[in-house]
Amino acid sequence: MQATPHAFARRTLLRFDVAPLWRRQGWLRLSRRAMACQFEVVLPQDAVDDLAPAAEAFDEVGQIERRLSVFLERSEISAINRVAASDAVISSVEVFGLLDRCRELSAATGGAFDITTTPLSRCWGFLQHQGRVPDVSDIDAARQRVGMNRLLLDRATRGVRFTAPGMEVNLGAVGKGYALDRMAATLRRKGISTALLSAGASSLLAMGGSGNGWTIDVTSPRRDGRIARIQLRDGALGTSGAGEQFIVADGRRYGHVIDPRTGWPASGALSASVIADSAEMADALSTAFLVGGATLAHRYCTGHPNTLALITSEASPHRTFTIGHYRGAFVEN
Amino acid sequence: MILTPEHRAIGRRNFLRALAGTPAMAALHSVARIEPVRDGPVRIGFIGVGGQGRVLLGRVNPAVGQVVAVADINPDSLTKAAAVLAERGRPDATPYLDPRGMLQHENIEAVIVAVPLWAHADTVVQCFDAGKHVLCEKMMAWDVDGCRRMMQAARTSGKVFEIGYQRHYNPIYIAAYDGIIKRMLLGDVHHVRLAWHRNENWRRPGGPPSPDYDASQWGYPTFEHLWNWRLYFRYSRGLFAELASHQLNAANWFLNASPHSVIASGGVHRFKDGRESFDHEYAIWEYPDGLTATFSSVESNAFDERYEAFFGTKATLIIYNEAEALLFDEGSGTSTRIEMSDTAGGAAAEASETKPAASRSSRLTSSRVPDSDQRASATEAEISRFCAAIRRSGVVACGAERAFESARACIAAHDAIVRETKITIT
Repeated sequence: MQATPHAFARRTLLRFDVAPLWRRQGWLRLSRRAMACQFEVVLPQDAVDDLAPAAEAFDEVGQIERRLSVFLERSEISAINRVAASDAVISSVEVFGLLDRCRELSAATGGAFDITTTPLSRCWGFLQHQGRVPDVSDIDAARQRVGMNRLLLDRATRGVRFTAPGMEVNLGAVGKGYALDRMAATLRRKGISTALLSAGASSLLAMGGSGNGWTIDVTSPRRDGRIARIQLRDGALGTSGAGEQFIVADGRRYGHVIDPRTGWPASGALSASVIADSAEMADALSTAFLVGGATLAHRYCTGHPNTLALITSEASPHRTFTIGHYRGAFVEN
Repeated sequence: MILTPEHRAIGRRNFLRALAGTPAMAALHSVARIEPVRDGPVRIGFIGVGGQGRVLLGRVNPAVGQVVAVADINPDSLTKAAAVLAERGRPDATPYLDPRGMLQHENIEAVIVAVPLWAHADTVVQCFDAGKHVLCEKMMAWDVDGCRRMMQAARTSGKVFEIGYQRHYNPIYIAAYDGIIKRMLLGDVHHVRLAWHRNENWRRPGGPPSPDYDASQWGYPTFEHLWNWRLYFRYSRGLFAELASHQLNAANWFLNASPHSVIASGGVHRFKDGRESFDHEYAIWEYPDGLTATFSSVESNAFDERYEAFFGTKATLIIYNEAEALLFDEGSGTSTRIEMSDTAGGAAAEASETKPAASRSSRLTSSRVPDSDQRASATEAEISRFCAAIRRSGVVACGAERAFESARACIAAHDAIVRETKITIT
């Protein structure tokens, strides 16, 4: 077919309307430090209109940190830890909701997930960065101050109460994921539908994405190469491991994630990643599965469709089990 | 300038926030939009394909320019230039030792000139006389008379003339100009500080292309003088021309002004190997209305890196390494930083267990866009815009007039050292 002059002109224009050099390939990355890690928002490189709203979304992280951090004396969680052993603390809707969901998840994972393990972490020296193998009696004593059954939550009043002195709650295993969920909600309200949010590499949340979605490589400091490459659309990825924070004693390696059921560091899994609808859930489950291993992951994913787990065991670090299914995820081991 | 990483992060975030919602933010990414060459790529010849010439050669976007011939008095450079084109899958370009032969025999529309400074004027005038458009590497010329001859030849020929100041094509500078300078967010600027500090030897190791190579036919007593022309006054204006002129040109652009006088100091303080060009140079340029720009370039310490800092009554703008812009005003607080990254490796992110803040931080540092990429892209944009100007608009970003102003200010600074006196720039 003969091209009309108009069509020719248009085609010529298209031919030379090359993608601007700056956006030809790549992303825009915005980052800010918060919660002792780097929060990042990745946008397609031509999404210049999304930059300002994305930058504003970081502000929300700061506010969340001020409420949830155990390292800030004036945070709501710090107030609970100071008072709840003696008096019920009336918590905010936000904090109560988080604590309540953590309690449910603890039940659903047979206690593998637990936000009250701080006394055990302290006992093992991980909080002070002076790891040591404690006496068994010390572990037993710490365990008396640990357990979700010792955390009383009154939905009617949003009251929070500890049943044992010396108890503490710590939302470190879900806080970053929760912050990402909140950031994503903010971005959606502002009309942004495509972005990849992350917090310290362990928590990611994919919004939209072209084709099969955002490409994410899962890695571990304890093995070469990547564990998996994931294409993820509209889902969250949480990863836990003990490759960075651990101690070695008597030839044994003890990771910083404590199994609340035994009081000893979790062992067996080298890395656990979970894909779920929310980053909060993905974060929490990755911690639970690092503790409970592939067995727990199987059991949980069977009962909770649309949850996918990648479990790499210490025994065979180059073999990763993919368990469950997530509708927006394609996994390439 | 001594800033902690945290301080720099605050500055980046302030810059972003100042630009947010303004057209300047879009300028960060749209400046390089090239829609040229309705009549096909511009046929380009190169004169000078040494180190910088080959950088330019590799940055000719084939959609807008086709390199048909290259000329260089050093056959080794021609060989390397052919390799650059081959690596990129570009067609071969006809090589010439004598640029006059290229101008005479080749059907080219435009010439990109990257020869030693002292040869700029004669080479460019030859190109205009031959009816070619010219993109010439900076600085404009070795002396003011040469600059004037070039501009006159350009006017007579009616061809496009641009000088290679890449900052004009760098989206960070354009965004800073549109979003900060034009909106007068800095208040009144009375001081600009320019720094380009390196800890390296400017002398390049290298030998002649063959034992019987005769550099004297090209005006160099020995091959060493050709190879290390930057180190000799007859061919070079030293650090002022090669480094300061980039920064002073950007300062003049941002401040819409040119200096009227200069005092300067410098010497060969470290590399006393027979060179003439100074390895340490300092200048103070005075502008109208109480504005002063200082420049320092040392070859004995790289801690201060490379930056242009504009100190205003309301805020300070710093552009580091041509790659990041920082803005500081009163009471600035949190820090969001923005980076552009490529898609190398295919993954948008890496997921792993929580890492301690320190190691995470170091990964992020390394993931920043290398400033060489930024400069490379600016160079590509520069050549593309040059080609677009030839085909359509005739408009280039820097232009000869501005390049002339910064050239004569740098030439005057050199004279100020040699003559040990304050020089009025005329």
